[in-house]
Amino acid sequence: MSGGSLLSLSGITRVYRVGSEAVRALDGVTFEVGRGEWLAVVGQSGSGKSTLMNVLGCLDTPTAGTYRINGSDVRGLSDDALADLRNREIGFVFQTFQLLPRSTALANVELPLVYRGLPRHERRARAEGALQAVGLADRMHHRPNELSGGQRQRVAIARALVGEPSLLLADEPTGNLDSATGDEIVRLFAELHGRGHTILLVTHEPRLAARCPRAIRLSDGRVVADGAGREVALLGAPQVVSA
Amino acid sequence: MRRMRRAGAELLEGLRIALAALAGHRLRTFLTTLGIVIGVMTVIAIVAVIQGLDRSFEAQIQSFGAHTLYVDKWKWLNLSGDWWMLRNRKPIGNRELAAITRESRVAVAAAPMTWSRSTVSRGAKELTSVQVNGTSSEYLATGGGSVRDGRFLAETDVDLARPVVVVGADVADQLFPGAAPATVIGERILVAGRPFTVVGLLDRRGRLLGMAMDNNVVMPYTAFQRIFGGKRSITVAVAAPPGRLAELEDELTGILRRVRQVPPGKPDDFTLNRQEQFLKVYQGLTGALYGVAVGVGLITLVVGGIGIMNVMMVSVHERTREIGVRRALGARRSTILVQFLVEAALVSAAGGAIGTALGLGAAQLVALLSPLAAAATPSAVGLGLGFSTVTGLVFGAWPAWRAAHLDPVEALRWE
Repeated sequence: MSGGSLLSLSGITRVYRVGSEAVRALDGVTFEVGRGEWLAVVGQSGSGKSTLMNVLGCLDTPTAGTYRINGSDVRGLSDDALADLRNREIGFVFQTFQLLPRSTALANVELPLVYRGLPRHERRARAEGALQAVGLADRMHHRPNELSGGQRQRVAIARALVGEPSLLLADEPTGNLDSATGDEIVRLFAELHGRGHTILLVTHEPRLAARCPRAIRLSDGRVVADGAGREVALLGAPQVVSA
Repeated sequence: MRRMRRAGAELLEGLRIALAALAGHRLRTFLTTLGIVIGVMTVIAIVAVIQGLDRSFEAQIQSFGAHTLYVDKWKWLNLSGDWWMLRNRKPIGNRELAAITRESRVAVAAAPMTWSRSTVSRGAKELTSVQVNGTSSEYLATGGGSVRDGRFLAETDVDLARPVVVVGADVADQLFPGAAPATVIGERILVAGRPFTVVGLLDRRGRLLGMAMDNNVVMPYTAFQRIFGGKRSITVAVAAPPGRLAELEDELTGILRRVRQVPPGKPDDFTLNRQEQFLKVYQGLTGALYGVAVGVGLITLVVGGIGIMNVMMVSVHERTREIGVRRALGARRSTILVQFLVEAALVSAAGGAIGTALGLGAAQLVALLSPLAAAATPSAVGLGLGFSTVTGLVFGAWPAWRAAHLDPVEALRWE
């Protein structure tokens, strides 16, 4: 395996049982992601995007194949070990923000550090830093319902970044935002990319994927294209890769 | 270190979440805890009343000769079927009293006790069914009470069988209404139709086991035997110095077996009774009451616990997505489990605290409105809080387990 890759997927297959039928949501997915890359995974609904994201995020384990993140093979890891891996390596950004409604922005951002066992003052300091980094220094003590959609997504991004994970994993991060706010969030991602973060977006929006330097297209659980974002997303011309 | 800090931080976080969740659903929380509140309240109130009764009863027993043995032909509170065996025992009489007085080195006082019911009158005032006690000068030292005015019986009163009486508080009130105590001394009254001179008044003693202790007159037992006959068996009250009751018991057994010529190997033909025997019977009764109270309380707690389980199920269901988010951010199953257990225990303990407060209040109310006493003991409070918390943990376990074992992917997708 190449030592330089952050993510390394080889023959990832995920089979669901629906009644007596076996559904192959992922079928031999193989690709690598280097440190500092910014890429999008695109595809129609039902193409296996969500399943791939769950596997990448260590929320789900593949039926077959090998997935390594930052050198760790997720196969055979216990539930606790997976939870710790998520806490350490992955920052999630969800389409619907998924903030805890009764907690302030600061408390929301602190949460991953609670699960890491950091002392209170350190949690506080790092959460404040993360909120400043996404431009919300003056909204720290607001609750989610006191924030706009764009601000909520910024809080979510701050929460994803606060633990300094090796991968930022975003699922349709602009899906619930108007286009102007969406652009703002994309610019934030570009900025984070510029600072060296590894970012993987899962989206069905070609416009968003086109902004990424690299994109991967999924169809029926297989990788059908892997190349420059603009080409894979906008042209939609599948460019077959050798597995 | 980090693990401990993590556990501590997670517990605090669990507490914070639980408080927020409870505050967010005040009415629901209140209704949920109602079962626990009622259960704990019932148990606490009953326990407080019983403990209060126990204490006041114990105090009464203490004041009535806790250090005294009562030598008797009969065994007090004998609930077994051998009373006819006791009936055939030789009576206890002057011989035994004399032997105890002469030979006992442990005893500090020994007084004969005989009693009967009779009529006491003064002029036109006539009291029927007054208890007439025949005893000696040492009666007071065996727990017979104390003298308020005048004097008690003297040794010469007994030796000469003088017609003198010391009068109980109720009898004095009724025969000499409104009279100053000093003016009563020296008055003459009729006991069983015979004239007696009042030489003293007894202090009021209240009630023991519901019996009035002040409706009596006390006379020398020699005088008593002239009126009521000398053949009946008497009781001898023998007082021991504090802490030497067992020693006295052994000594008296030896003296009495010898005087009554009980052959070696045969059982005693007398009984050494104690006031404590009442306490034991009484505690047996309240023990049964305790059992009923605890049984009722447990049933209510189970009902309350089912309520807790129900609302925790709802809480888990409502917060499925939150659970998914927490799992995605790195919460382990145990973290989620602890979070919901803390919540269940907190609801339940809050109910327990309210129930304890209400129960103690109810007990105080009972104490105010009735002659029953009530005592708030730390053990009762601990019991209430402990039981309710454990109930929360037990009945919160299943919902918490379900929450912890939700599939994070499913939970995140949940609408």
